[in-house]
Amino acid sequence: MGRYVARRLLLTIPVLLGASFLIFAMVYALPGDPIRALGGDRPLSPAVVAELRERFHLDEPLWAQYWEYLKGLFQGDLGTDFRGRPVLDTIERTLPVTIRLTIVAVVFEAVIGLIAGVLAGIRRNSFFDNLVLVSTTLIVSIPILVLAFVAQLLFGLKLGWFPIAGTREGWYSYLLPGLVLASGSLAYVARLTRTSVAENLRADYVRTARAKGLSNRTVIVRHTLRNSLIPVVTFIGADIGTLLGGAIVTESVFNLPGIGREVFDSVRAQEGAVVVGIVTLMVFFFIFFNLVVDVLYAVLDPRIRYD
Amino acid sequence: MTRPDLSPSAPARPAAGNPLLEVDDLHVEFRTRSGVVHAVNGVSYSLSEGETLAILGESGSGKSVSAQAIMGILDTPPAVIAGGGIWFEGRDLLQQTPDEQRRVRGPGISMIFQDALSSLNPVYSVGYQIGEMFRAHRGTSKKEARQRAVELMDRVRIPAAASRVDDYPHQFSGGMRQRVMIAMAIALDPKVLIADEPTTALDVTVQAQVMDLLKDLQRDTGMGLVLITHDLGVVNEVADNVAVMYAGEIVERGTVDDVFTDPAHPYTDGLMSSVPQVEAKGGRLQPIAGQPPNLAAIPSGCPFHPRCPRRRLGAAAAPGRECATDVPPLRLVVPGREAACHYSEEVLGV
Repeated sequence: MGRYVARRLLLTIPVLLGASFLIFAMVYALPGDPIRALGGDRPLSPAVVAELRERFHLDEPLWAQYWEYLKGLFQGDLGTDFRGRPVLDTIERTLPVTIRLTIVAVVFEAVIGLIAGVLAGIRRNSFFDNLVLVSTTLIVSIPILVLAFVAQLLFGLKLGWFPIAGTREGWYSYLLPGLVLASGSLAYVARLTRTSVAENLRADYVRTARAKGLSNRTVIVRHTLRNSLIPVVTFIGADIGTLLGGAIVTESVFNLPGIGREVFDSVRAQEGAVVVGIVTLMVFFFIFFNLVVDVLYAVLDPRIRYD
Repeated sequence: MTRPDLSPSAPARPAAGNPLLEVDDLHVEFRTRSGVVHAVNGVSYSLSEGETLAILGESGSGKSVSAQAIMGILDTPPAVIAGGGIWFEGRDLLQQTPDEQRRVRGPGISMIFQDALSSLNPVYSVGYQIGEMFRAHRGTSKKEARQRAVELMDRVRIPAAASRVDDYPHQFSGGMRQRVMIAMAIALDPKVLIADEPTTALDVTVQAQVMDLLKDLQRDTGMGLVLITHDLGVVNEVADNVAVMYAGEIVERGTVDDVFTDPAHPYTDGLMSSVPQVEAKGGRLQPIAGQPPNLAAIPSGCPFHPRCPRRRLGAAAAPGRECATDVPPLRLVVPGREAACHYSEEVLGV
C-alpha cells in the first residue's frame, strides 16, 4: 500500500506540469491586451506599457514565457499579478474561504444525504422514500444559480435567518451558501445511499445474518450499512476534491472571496500567473482527493488490494 | 396473515417417536403484482434427533422456500406464510414473537446456504463472522469469541485455523468457505441443521469432503439434518429418509433405500431414470418430458399429470381418480412409504 501511494504521488508531478502548461497556453491564447486593460479609462503611457510588457515577458513566445514561469516555480515563487501582488498571497487570502465553504457543504451533504438515503433505502416505497425521490429530483433539476438566488431571497431577505452575503459573521455566514453548494451532491448522495442500501438488503449475506439470529439492528447496521456506505464514502471523498476547486456561482452570488471567484476574475483580467497558480492547485486537490478515495476503498473493502 | 387456529399453549403435538422439528401443512405464497405464486402447498414432515432427511426436488419445487419459512427468513412481503405450523421442541414457531423466533435461530435451528462466497459478508473476517454467533447469543467478549472461532475452524478441519481466523472470505477456496459457513452454523450446537444445497457450488471431490464433514458432525452432536438438494447421489449417500417435492408439494416420502430402489410416484421414477448409470454407458439419458409447472398457474388435479407417462384421463381413469381433475392426496401406499399418486400401486408393481 505504501509503495502504491508513493507511486501515485510521484505521478502527480507530470500531471501538474502538464496541467499548468495547458492552462498557461489557454491564457496566452486569450484575445485582448491585459496591460492596456489595466489602465481602465485612463490609458497608461507607452513607456509604462513597454516596461510592464518587458517585466512580464509578454512579447516573448509561449515557450519562453512558460519557461520563465517554471524557473520561478522551482524557487517557490508563483509570480505576481500585473499590479505586483504575489500570487501566493492571493491564494492565502482566498483559499481559507473556499475551505470553510467546502467543509460546511460536505457536512450538509454527508449528514442529510446519508440519513435521507439510509431511511429511504430501508423503507423502500414508503411515503418517506417517495418524498426523498421527488425532492432530490426537484433539487437536481433546478440550476444552482436559481437555487442560490431563491435561498438568498427566502432565507436571507424574507425570513432573515441567515446573512445574505459576505463572511462577516464567521462560520454562520457559510451556512446558507454551503447548503446551496451542497444541494446537488446532497441529492446524489441520498440517491446513491438509497440504492446501495436497498440492494444490499437483498444480499445473500444479509439473509445469512438473519439466519444467524442476529438482532434486526445488528443486521441493518453491521451487515447492511457497513457494506452500503462504501460507494457513498468514496463519492463524498472525490466530491471534496471538486468542491475545493471553488464554486464560481455560489461564491459570486453570496459574495464570498474564495478561489473560485478569484480565478473567474483573473481569467477576465488575463492574469496568467494567478490563473495558472490557482488552477494548478485545484488540479492538485482533485488528484489528491482521488488518491485518498482509492486508499479509503482498500481500507473499507478488504477485497481490494493494490500491491 | 391467516394462520390455522392453533393455540400457542397447546401441548406438544402427538407424533410418532419424539420429533425435534415438525412441519405441519405449511403453505407459502408470494403475493406479487402479477399474481399469487404458490411456492409451498401443504408440506408436512418431521425430523427426529440424529435423523437426516433429504428434501429432493428441481429448482422451483419449493424446497428452499419451505426451509426459509422454517428459519423465519423469508422476505415478507412478497412472501406470506398462508397457513400451517412449524413445531420446534413442542412450540409453534409461527405463533412466537419475532424476538422469540430470532433466539431459536442459531442455538435451535441453523442453516447453511448454497453459495458460501455470497452468503458470507465480504467486509468482515471469517473469525469475526463465526464469533458473532457467540457475541449475539451469549454475550461473549470479542476476544473469547475469536478464540471460539478458531476452535470451530479446527473442528471443521480448516488447516492452520489460528493463522487464518482473521482472513476474509475471498481469501478461501470454495470448499474452505463452505466449511466456514458450517462452522458458523454449528457454533451454538443447534438441534437442527438445515443445509440448502450445501455442495452444489463445489467440485465433486470437495463435495464428498463436505458431506463427510456434515455426517461426522451429526454423529458427534446428534443433531437432526435437513438436506435440501437436487443431487440424487448426495441423497443416496447420506440421507436416512427422503421427501420428494414437486410444485410445492411432497409427492413421495420414505426411506432412501426404498424410494431409490422402487419409486412409488411417476415423478420419482422419472428422476431415477434421468440419472446417468455407469452400467448403461453409451445409452441415452431419459429426461422427464415437459417443464416444471409455473407456480402461479399450477395444473389442476395432480400437478404432475401434464408430464406424467402414466396419467389416466377421462374414461381411462378409475372413478374419483382422474389425473387432471382429482387431486391425489399423499397417502400410505405400503408400510413406511407415502406417495401422492392415484396409481402408486401400479408404479410400485405391488
